[in-house]
Parts: sequence; C-alpha cells; structure tokens
Amino acid sequence: MPPDTQIKETEDIICVPGLRICAADNKHVAGKGTYERQGYIYSTLAGILHLVQQKEEGFVVEVHSSNEQSVVPVPGNIVTAKVMTINLRMAICQIRCIGDTVLSQPYRGILRREDIRATEKDKVEVYNSVRPGDIILARVLPVNEVQSYQLSTAENELGVVIAHTSAGVPMVPISWDQMQCPKTYVKENRKVAKIVPEDIAVD
Amino acid sequence: MELLSEQGLRLDGRRPEELRKIRCKLGVFEQPDGSAYLEQGNTKVLAAVYGPHQVRGGRVKANADSAIVNCQYSMATFSTGERKRRPRGDRKSQEMTSHLKQALTAAIKTEIYPRSQIDIFLEVLQADGGNYCCCINAATLALIDAGIPINEYVVGCTASLANASVPMLDISHLEETTGGPSLTIVAMPLSKKIVVAEMLERFHVDQLEKILNLALKGCQQIHAVLDAAVRNHMTEIGSASAWGQTFGT
Repeated sequence: MPPDTQIKETEDIICVPGLRICAADNKHVAGKGTYERQGYIYSTLAGILHLVQQKEEGFVVEVHSSNEQSVVPVPGNIVTAKVMTINLRMAICQIRCIGDTVLSQPYRGILRREDIRATEKDKVEVYNSVRPGDIILARVLPVNEVQSYQLSTAENELGVVIAHTSAGVPMVPISWDQMQCPKTYVKENRKVAKIVPEDIAVD
Repeated sequence: MELLSEQGLRLDGRRPEELRKIRCKLGVFEQPDGSAYLEQGNTKVLAAVYGPHQVRGGRVKANADSAIVNCQYSMATFSTGERKRRPRGDRKSQEMTSHLKQALTAAIKTEIYPRSQIDIFLEVLQADGGNYCCCINAATLALIDAGIPINEYVVGCTASLANASVPMLDISHLEETTGGPSLTIVAMPLSKKIVVAEMLERFHVDQLEKILNLALKGCQQIHAVLDAAVRNHMTEIGSASAWGQTFGT
C-alpha cells in the first residue's frame, strides 16, 4: 500500500450503522446520518465521519455516505418538476430535483389552478400557464393529499423555466406571462419564472 | 443417525457452538438502489432494495409520518432438493414476508422518509437451513448498500438442541428436519434487543436460557462478519470515488 494512501485511509474514520461515535453534550450535536440515544450519538449510515464546526465551540457530527440520493420532498422545498398532464383544475407533474439534488426516482406532484398565481386566482387558466412537457420551478406546500405533493408557483421566481413549441424549439421568455419562439416568432402564454437565462437573445 | 457424535462433532464436522462459513458481497446489482448476496454454508440468498420512492399502487396508502416497508420473500424453484412449484405466494412465504417486514421495520429509521415506500426483495437461491436468518442478514447488507439509515445491524441466527441436552448453533437443513427443536432469533447485537423470536418443536423451559444465550452469541459473531464485509466494501468504494478529496476539503 502506498504511504499517502495509508495516510489518507487513517484520516478518514469509517462509520457503520450502530457505531457509537461520541457522547451528546454541549459541544457535539447529532447531525445528518446520526441519531441520539441515551446520551450518545450513533451512526445510521455506512460512511465517513465529519465534524462540522459550528459557531464558536460546537460541532455537528455528520456521517456522509457515498450514495446520497435518499431525499424526500419536504414542505417549503424548491423543486424542479416536469408537467405531465393538465386539465381544467390542475396540472400533474413529476418532481425530478429537490434543490440541487437529482432524484433517482421521481415523485408525483400536483399543481392546482389556485396555486399557480399569487393574484387574480379566479382568472387563471391552466392551459395558459403550464403545458405538458414544460419544466417548472415550484415550491412544495404542506401536504393534504395522500398520494401526491402539492406544488405552488405563486411567486415571481417560480414558474416555467423551459418550454418548447410544437416544433420542438426552446422558447425565450419575453414577459412574465409570455414566451416566444425564436424561429417562427409565435407567442405562447406561460407563467414564466423570473430567471434570466444566459446567452439567449431573440434574433 | 445422531446429531452429535461422541467426540462432540456435528454431522458436517463443526462443534456445537460454531457457525457455518459466511461469505457476502454488497452491490451485486446496478439497477436496485442497494443489493447484497450472502452465503451461509450452503444457503444462498440475494437481496435487492429499492427506495425510498413514491408510494404506488391504488390500495396502499402512504403514512404521513413514516415510510412503508414492503418485503417479498421468494424461494427459487431449484432451491430445494424437491422442486418447488410456487416460489412465492404460498402460506410459508407470506409468513416469512411478514416476519421480515417486522424485523426490518424495527431497524430502519422510517420517520426520516414520510409518505414514501421502501421495497426489499429477497430470493433464496439455495436452501440448506436457516433461510430466514440468511434473508435478514442479506437484507441488512442491502439496506446499508442503499444508504438507508438504520439504527444498527439486524442479525439473525438459529439455535437448536442436540441429544436433548447440548445447544447447537446455526443449524443446517438436516439438523432442522430430524426433529430437533429450533429457535430462531433476530436481534440487534449492539443494543442487545431481540426483534423476532420463533420456536419450533418443544424443549424444556430450563434449556431456554442456554439456547437463547447461544443464539445471541451467534448473532454477535455474525455481526462481526457483516461488519468486516461492510468496512471492506466501503474502503473499496471510498478509494474508487476519491472520498477523501470530495468530502475532506
């Protein structure tokens, strides 16, 4: 074994589930991948131990695994979703990312008509806000349905970020509620997210 | 045919308190989120874990505060000497599935994943006694491979009584079927908690403590073997994915 590999291996402390890491006191708090039981901090994942410095004296004890895909949407998260089907009352989406984490399995989300816009809720038409195939940014609402997550785009920064025309050309946002095809100049209505894409201009 | 000879050796040459040889491997499949293969003597088990993912299926209702653990136990048709007609769905498989779900739910931290589902599939490729314990051990390895937080290892072990007086550990199929009583224990060795206990046939209650202590000792030995395998697997994975450089800085 090369010496630097050996040094690296000794530096990383390998934790396995059930391993007692340290006592839970004022300086050490159980963080991600750990839990506290009877005054001690135990590991729940197989991974590498990390001590994250906090404030002045405290440490957050964390265990990082090699595959970090076990994330579940929590109310308040910003998620990236793809619109699958729409009807008069709602749009059914597939949640593909939570923040910066790409999900290995998509979750089902519902964007209701009343949650698309913050104002003029009675005048919202789903067809003029999102369409199947669009990629949207949305926020997860507190759940009241069993099988789905409730989404909301009632903020300026949320809405459609990627949309294509029927010919498959990605469209350019031209206002908060319209997108335009850069080739045929056809305008379509969308609830546009307030994000400025890079290197995009209408010819 | 006696289970224990005069010299104190079993039919396969083991002493009463010895385990069969355990070989295991994590990450045998790419498609599942976690997978493991385990051999304990001649018993061979494959485990695959999917999830946590969205609850699907019309009848299943998601829990608002915890994940649903879904297990399936299956024996291959060629796993026994006499060919099985139904690998799953019969009464024994359903009972095994229920026991597996109970044991694994006790270990998995289900409250971290509300309204989601964790699927665990177990397939016995070759059965030679102690199938349930091998499934538990393989499922534990698969869960660790999937990165699902668990409280600690869940380890299963069997124990029996030979010649009505000598406790035996990790019985094989021959010792199971020749009429000796058998005790199956699934435990968390570090916190010394018993998750599942099952007993077949009868023995005197005075012998229970002896057999129970031997089974728990076997669980600790199996825990040491699984722990070494997980650490080896993590060392290889960490070296391959340059762990220190990613998380150390």
